[in-house]
Amino acid sequence: MIRLSFIAFLFPLILWGQNDTVQPIQEVIATETVYIPRANNSILTKTDIEELSANDVGELIQKIAGVNLKSYGSLGGLKTVSMRGLGANHSSIVKDGFSLNNSQTGQVNLGQIEVDNVVGVISSVGRRIKNSLPVSAQISGSNFLIKTFENTFTTDTLQIRSNIKYGSFNQQLGYLGMKYSPRKFMFSAFGRMRQSVGNYPFVLQNGNTFFSSSRRNNDYKDYSFGGTVGYKWKENYMRLIYKKSVFDQGLPGAVILYNSTQDEKLATNKQSLSFDYRTIIKAVNYRFYVDTRLSELNYKDPTFLNSSGGIDAVYINRSATGGLTFSLRPRNNLTINGGVEEVISDLFSNDSTFAQPVRFHNFGLLGVSYLLRYGLKIEAQISSQYVQEKNNNGQNAKDRFRVNPFIYIEKSSFNKKSWKHVLWYRNSFRMPSFNELYYNNIGNNLLEPEEAHQLNYGFSFVPIRKKLDIYFRTNIYFNRVTNKIVAIPTKNLFVWSMQNVGLVNIYGFEAVVQSKWKINDNWKLTSDVNYSYQRTLDMTDMDSPTYLDQIAYVPVHTVNFDFSIGHRKTGLRLSNYFISMRYSLNENVPQNEVEGFLISDLTIFHSIKVKKNLIRIQLSAKNIFNQQYAYIRNFVMPGRNYLISLSYAFN
Amino acid sequence: MHLIRIAVPFSLLLVLISCKKEPEEIVVNSTLENGMVILCEGLFQQNNSSVSWVNFSNSTITNTLFQDRAFRLLGDTGNDMQRYGNKIYIVVNASSTVEIIDALSFKPLQQILMQNGGIAKQPRSVAFYGSNAYVSCYDGFVDVIDTTSMLVTQRIQVGANPEGMAVANNKLYVANSGGLNFPNVDSTLSVIDLSTNTELQKIVIGKNPGSVIADSQGEIYVINRGNYGAIPSSISRVSSQTDAVLSELSINATVITHMNSDFLIADLDITTNNSSVIVFDPLTETISNSNFINTSGVTTLYGIQYNSSKNLIFISDAMGYSNTGYIRSYLANGNALKSYHVGLNPSKILFYD
Repeated sequence: MIRLSFIAFLFPLILWGQNDTVQPIQEVIATETVYIPRANNSILTKTDIEELSANDVGELIQKIAGVNLKSYGSLGGLKTVSMRGLGANHSSIVKDGFSLNNSQTGQVNLGQIEVDNVVGVISSVGRRIKNSLPVSAQISGSNFLIKTFENTFTTDTLQIRSNIKYGSFNQQLGYLGMKYSPRKFMFSAFGRMRQSVGNYPFVLQNGNTFFSSSRRNNDYKDYSFGGTVGYKWKENYMRLIYKKSVFDQGLPGAVILYNSTQDEKLATNKQSLSFDYRTIIKAVNYRFYVDTRLSELNYKDPTFLNSSGGIDAVYINRSATGGLTFSLRPRNNLTINGGVEEVISDLFSNDSTFAQPVRFHNFGLLGVSYLLRYGLKIEAQISSQYVQEKNNNGQNAKDRFRVNPFIYIEKSSFNKKSWKHVLWYRNSFRMPSFNELYYNNIGNNLLEPEEAHQLNYGFSFVPIRKKLDIYFRTNIYFNRVTNKIVAIPTKNLFVWSMQNVGLVNIYGFEAVVQSKWKINDNWKLTSDVNYSYQRTLDMTDMDSPTYLDQIAYVPVHTVNFDFSIGHRKTGLRLSNYFISMRYSLNENVPQNEVEGFLISDLTIFHSIKVKKNLIRIQLSAKNIFNQQYAYIRNFVMPGRNYLISLSYAFN
Repeated sequence: MHLIRIAVPFSLLLVLISCKKEPEEIVVNSTLENGMVILCEGLFQQNNSSVSWVNFSNSTITNTLFQDRAFRLLGDTGNDMQRYGNKIYIVVNASSTVEIIDALSFKPLQQILMQNGGIAKQPRSVAFYGSNAYVSCYDGFVDVIDTTSMLVTQRIQVGANPEGMAVANNKLYVANSGGLNFPNVDSTLSVIDLSTNTELQKIVIGKNPGSVIADSQGEIYVINRGNYGAIPSSISRVSSQTDAVLSELSINATVITHMNSDFLIADLDITTNNSSVIVFDPLTETISNSNFINTSGVTTLYGIQYNSSKNLIFISDAMGYSNTGYIRSYLANGNALKSYHVGLNPSKILFYD
């Protein structure tokens, strides 16, 4: 029998001025959202990130409209996100300008990305920030950009960020980051650790009864450190960034009734070395980037009932990326942008029967943006991808070549710039991951890429710019996923295989209303509400019982409702997250229902500023109504829990 | 106050969103009769193994029989269900339990947690002899359960990942699949002396043995599942007198069951997803009907059983393994009769007159 909790790990998903393609290097961290009409992007500011008190980036990103988080646990648990029903592999995760996606799984475990040093997150589905993104991220179905303290240039000579946190279930977190910027140079270094016993109590319904227990084999420990050297002159910069992260965790798996003998372990070791150089010379803006990554997974199941007395599997995934992006502005109303990127990645395992795949993935992009009269803008892009596959221990997957278009039309109010209509179409695809192609007994090297078509109309509006600021955005979209890659049992219940069998239509609507009300010099109120409606329908086979059924684990309704009140340096934030009932399998029958939930977190904070020193104390009560809930059936989440944090910053 | 004003309408919205229609309740008699009990395996990590009851008198179906009688769930991945006297034994693999149930009332009598030193034994199937139930466990043992005390009294070591079992000639034959070493599967059949409960020997048969059945002459038939690829499935025939392999039959087989003195052998072709059912006469070692049932209405053949009192054949249709399944009944002439919509991955059936 295949241990699915591990398989789930394997398969298993900033505004800094993105108005114009050619833009100055803007490294000012947005602490508050400036309301301008944006129909494509969602932003989590530094203030949001601090107040949300999230454990990881996954918990942050679920606050964004259209995002569907799949979380398999609390601290360190596997978390992936999908945007607008497309599946996690269609989203690029970009940190400080470098893509984090890995070719083994095709997706990123957001539970492993810390938030202590994150100063902004932006998601985009349509038009993109261009030159700060790798080419591969510019043409993906959607992307999430994460910006961190260590890798951002500053005008301050010395900056220090640090915090310590202690929480329920013996959570302990510590972070220290320093940035020294003498004249044109920047030197930064950071160290961080997190650990948790993870033995939180839960109550699970068992028929007409309930049983109480505590999560087992859910211990978690990680640490990371890194450093950056940067150099900035005139309107150029270059950065050299190194990071190492080590994760050690138990895999608690699903809660299996009557059997709590789970003892699988996963150790992960990641290292990356990245370099980029970016410049703006009048009407020319380009960025050159190189990135190398190493990820080593060691999965152990000491009680797997095979003849060798367990499983001890090692997977080493390496990648090297090089790319160039550019934009030119030959005329004031015309921008041309493009880029090329090459990613080479491979995978090794200590299992001699496992494939040894190597992938050469080439990306090309050319786009043009033309500003007409009366606030009308038209943008068109065409991208190409050529993928060569080799397998040094078995049969290759096929080479592929694809060309994908993107078309965007925008109409802004040309006098006051307070509203914007956008209409766009994007065609993209995602490659099958190495696991999907080659994983023992499951992989299928005949898989075709999974295609996504997105058609979107959006409207955003900023009506008032006085004491009460309001931002409103709505989008209506239709997405279609063809050749969807799904795991299905093809031989018997225990022999599953990846197949291109899915066809999915997604009909979606989202609305976002944000407001800021500055009552007087001391008091301010803010609210942030978003609602997403997603009908994600299986269109694969008219004769199937799942035809026109909602795809598993995609909620029809998702609501975020955040409200905060601030008085000088003291404040409170109530953060609510609701998702409606979902199905654990594609068949929409009552026995597959997974209950929806409403989770409310409350954070109280107080800051003290003495000259350049800022001390902040923050107390968070998470899941204050002590809901028993799960994103994934039987992967129970923690009830009410607390986190206290003390942070110190020096500017 | 602000919070209350906001929270109340918000909560009402959520209540409206979460409203749902309650399913119609079907009353099942306290004593089961004239119907069938179906074990639905469910899917791994879903805790959704269940038992369905089909009432032949009025064709009503309830898919929560175990929960209704036990007030709790069966667990995760129920693999086998057999009746012995007035007790039913359900083997639940991922939950690692054996549920012993009163056959008439279907009320649970005993739940045995099948663990050994904190490691789940992962039971797979059950067979009976004398006052004992024998449960094959994936950890390489057959557990002996006293049917009176309903406790495990002994463990008999066999081969890797044992699965199907059959009794003949005072011996228990256990298929050692080695399935968890795939693709390096096992290919042996353990022979256990039932008077001493010790393993006598291992007989080498075909690759990846699964189901085991005995005919009226005491010959043992084992389905070798091959490697689901180049090595096809086959059937090994073993003498319980000499414990020698008599022959290996080139018959593709997924499941095998008794139909009077004959066998019904069903096969699901994993490449085409087509299935077939043949009638095999174990006395003459010949196929008496190579196309017994037209299975075009079956999506994923997962099990087959014969009801002698009604002279009907019942096929378990797993509907692609991830959709709720059907039990499809057929007349003895092979013509389709009726379908019953049951739980996820229906497999074993017990009949009530």
